[in-house]
Amino acid sequence: MNKRVALLLLLGFVVAPMSQAQVKDIEMRVEGMT
Amino acid sequence: MKQHLGRQSGVQNVEVSLIDGKVEITPKEDGQIDPIQLLKATFDSGVTAAEMDMTARGKIVKDSSGNLALQVAPNRSFALVANELSKGLDSLVGSQTIITVRGQLYKKPPGKKQKVDASTSLKLLILEVEKKE
Repeated sequence: MNKRVALLLLLGFVVAPMSQAQVKDIEMRVEGMT
Repeated sequence: MKQHLGRQSGVQNVEVSLIDGKVEITPKEDGQIDPIQLLKATFDSGVTAAEMDMTARGKIVKDSSGNLALQVAPNRSFALVANELSKGLDSLVGSQTIITVRGQLYKKPPGKKQKVDASTSLKLLILEVEKKE
């Protein structure tokens, strides 16, 4: 049981930071727009 | 163009400023946004993208060619253009540190009309490292 809890905690530490990774904003400058 | 860009996957909101020619795209949190598709959609809607900047959070990894890359989703990463700022991130490879960076993904070559397609690869030129966590 303790092993399962430890494994889940470890998985959480590995997965949690990646779940925060993301593209936050994209900005473009365009030409020829009317 | 606003509607065309808004239909692309992973796009939550598009704001267009006609005065200064700026387009602000807010991605959804699903990580599905694809900058190449956005550039392609921009060209398809009849305007020329002169420049594309991105702010992103992710991990520094090495890609299959051994170059530094910013991984923003399990299946999406952007190769980094080597500069002073990217050299400073070399020590973060393999660590769990999440960084927030602002960088340039695309700049139209001067005087040329360039068509962007699926084979175009975008490299991220880091302009600023905003945060390390």
